Amino acid sequence: MSAATAINRVMMAAFAAFLVSVPWSVPALINSFWVSVIAEILIWSLFAASVNLLFGCVGLLSFGQALYFGFGMYGVAIGISDLGLSFWPAFGLGIVASMAMALVTGIFAVRLTWHYFAIITVVFSLIFYFLALSNKWLTGGDDGINFTLPPTFTFGGTKWALTDPTFQYFFILTTVALCFWLMHRLIGSPLGKAFLAIRDNDVRASLIGLNVYLLRLIAFVLAGFLAGVAGALFAFFGRYASASYMFYHVSGEAVVWAIVGGAGTLFGPIVGTSIFIIVREVVSSHWEHHGLIVGIVAILVVMFAPKGVVGLWRQWLTSLSERTVTPADAAPVDIKLRTEP
Amino acid sequence: MSEPVLRTENLTRRFGGLVAVDNLNISLPGGRLHAIIGPNGAGKTTFFNLISGLLKSDGGRVFFQGRDITGLKPHQISRLGIKRTLQIKSVFPQLSVAENLWITGQAGQRFLHPFRAASSDRAAWEKVERTLEQIGLAGLAKRAAGTLSYGDVALLEIGMALISEPKLLLLDEPTCGMSPAETERAVQKIRELARTIDIVIIEHDMEVVFGIASDITVMAQGSILASGTPKQIADDERVREAYLGRPEDEDYVEEAVHA
Amino acid sequence: MEKLLLLAMNGLIWGLIIALIALGLAIIFGLLDIINLAHGDFFMVGTVLAWATLQSTGNFWLAFIAAPLIGFILGALIQRLVIQPIHNVAALSIVATFGLSLILQESVRITFGPTPRRILPPIQGTVPLFGIDYEVYRLFAAAVAIVAIGGFFLFLHRTQLGTWMRAVRHDRDTAIAMGIPAQRVYVLTFAIGFALACVGGVVAAPITTVDFRGGVDILPFCFMAVIIGGLGNLPGTAAAAILLAFLEGVIQSVANPTVARISSLVLMSAVLLLRPQGLFKGFAR
Repeated sequence: MSAATAINRVMMAAFAAFLVSVPWSVPALINSFWVSVIAEILIWSLFAASVNLLFGCVGLLSFGQALYFGFGMYGVAIGISDLGLSFWPAFGLGIVASMAMALVTGIFAVRLTWHYFAIITVVFSLIFYFLALSNKWLTGGDDGINFTLPPTFTFGGTKWALTDPTFQYFFILTTVALCFWLMHRLIGSPLGKAFLAIRDNDVRASLIGLNVYLLRLIAFVLAGFLAGVAGALFAFFGRYASASYMFYHVSGEAVVWAIVGGAGTLFGPIVGTSIFIIVREVVSSHWEHHGLIVGIVAILVVMFAPKGVVGLWRQWLTSLSERTVTPADAAPVDIKLRTEP
Repeated sequence: MSEPVLRTENLTRRFGGLVAVDNLNISLPGGRLHAIIGPNGAGKTTFFNLISGLLKSDGGRVFFQGRDITGLKPHQISRLGIKRTLQIKSVFPQLSVAENLWITGQAGQRFLHPFRAASSDRAAWEKVERTLEQIGLAGLAKRAAGTLSYGDVALLEIGMALISEPKLLLLDEPTCGMSPAETERAVQKIRELARTIDIVIIEHDMEVVFGIASDITVMAQGSILASGTPKQIADDERVREAYLGRPEDEDYVEEAVHA
Repeated sequence: MEKLLLLAMNGLIWGLIIALIALGLAIIFGLLDIINLAHGDFFMVGTVLAWATLQSTGNFWLAFIAAPLIGFILGALIQRLVIQPIHNVAALSIVATFGLSLILQESVRITFGPTPRRILPPIQGTVPLFGIDYEVYRLFAAAVAIVAIGGFFLFLHRTQLGTWMRAVRHDRDTAIAMGIPAQRVYVLTFAIGFALACVGGVVAAPITTVDFRGGVDILPFCFMAVIIGGLGNLPGTAAAAILLAFLEGVIQSVANPTVARISSLVLMSAVLLLRPQGLFKGFAR
């Protein structure tokens, strides 16, 4: 086993052990408020992962993932407060709603590439943001909907609900971990390799027989799934849903988190999200302008470290274990191939 | 072979005011290695782009093994068995050499499994290993394709063409930018391929063309200037004037004439 | 009926102002290939500079000089320091402009605080027009916008720098081969883009609020104008801006503003999907 793999394994084991211990170690070391911060980080990293799947693995930069997050969030909120659904059906509704939305919008959006794709994802999310704002009877507009949480599991007499912070934390952790594991399998799968091929060279991909449009659409729906799960978890976590989370700023921040963390890597979204949310929590108690930090870091990372934290980490590890350094390939830079007439 | 492997009827493509391919009627019989030559701007690559579906035609039809493929999308045409390389060598730079070959071999599948590990398909990987042997890149299997030298990228492209089991292979200037040694290797490979696969090759290197082609078509300004065996082409006055005017080509032309 | 007329006129005039701002976005998008998510904030900076000039000198008119000048300098600096170095990771320029947007918004919030301010129009009073009493300042604003847009096109077509810009936009490689200093043109483009947005900001400041979030609404509107007008089609962009604002104004008289905005966005999606070269093809290129 090479040094790089060994280091990675150790780090992942340590990280996993830490995450499992959080409900006990964190209150002991810091305070119990941070347990819910970590839970929030997990939820938002799933959202950043949805951006990362599209950009890092398929080469499509979406600035509108907040739309699917919103559908997941509202699926749960409306399901519980208006439709009287219990926990799992509401969860299901949120996920189905976001995936359906991703399919419908994706059919159109994926026909475009590059700048126009990015623009249309924003446009779609803005359309629904305004729809959500103006249909206050359904969505509560900017103020949002508050609801009480039905129990998650009921075994005979015992109820397990997210009102128990420890249970809530583990529920979120399990769901997020499951999604990340699915992503890991996906990247190593034939479908995942096809995604990477399209990202690298979409013309070549079509010439070898890959249906680029269909594959992009599949990726788009999968990303919608991830954003939807994140939105649903968010609704459960806060017992709250609001249209303001569908605004393009939310999408934009997730893009920054994904890129700072490392586009195209599995753990990039987690690292990036953690950095920003921790900074936000730490800074905002003394100074309310942490948005400035986000902006500055975003620009600095794009200028000096476009591969992001995990990308740089990987590069460093590779230089440790191999003589020849594998390529200084930048973060998925678009290698636009123009076939000349 | 009665049915030509590739046939076009009045194939036309314009770019603004420029007619790149002008009512082209070409018929390529199977079992041959066909070379298309001509000055820059003659429409050769446009022709390939039209065949492979990267460009839509402004008129005319394309038939592959008797089947009308006009208007089909690139990936559909590829799945029918027409594979091509591009003028500017291009592979998947961030995938490894082995992965490049692997994905090319798998690309035609109807269903790509989303969760099973790609490495678990033994048969597919064995094929990749065999192809690596054939093109001589076995030592570079794990290298990212973006780090390869130009000559190796060209070989990888040929490997990708091989593993995709083409029925018709369109090679666009395969030896462009290669050193003499690399050109020699490439020509070898192409000759081997030509034993079992129908090949159409666009080339500027006359040594390569007159060395391996069984038929030559000369294009100029979007139309066919002349077509025939190498000897016929070399003899053709119009061709000599229009295209083969370079001194260094004379030797090959002389050889072909007296072949 | 009066309401319709009022809203329609307001829309028309607002459209002229947006046209000015959108032209700045159009040249940045068209020449530098950058989706400038900070463009709305460039406008916002213009409004803030107007307010600041008024506060410090008591003279609103000075802002018409100060704001574009500062905008120009800021634009040039940003291009040289941030945009230029990242030209090889073009996909990420959108992230950089998003970061820029955050920086601008927060910087303004830090220096001027979060409360929105209002500026009184420097020209008070109304004038009877088509049967309604219409604010004089708005008419003045329209005139300024028209003059500025005209000036911009004049610059583009009559000066050497402008010609260089058009050449680079039309065919980058040939322009460079002909010896046009592309680098300088890029700096100029970004600087002018910022300056135009600032002029728009100054003109608009008395009829809108001066607030660190003032650019958030303007941004989608500018993009709509650029896309619907057609990328690379500057007169088309201006025309689209005017038309869209006018239509939104008209729709607002019968429905609420959100409906108007949604219809514009839907129109924009349709154009992107069906006719990406814009609706006004055929206008001068």
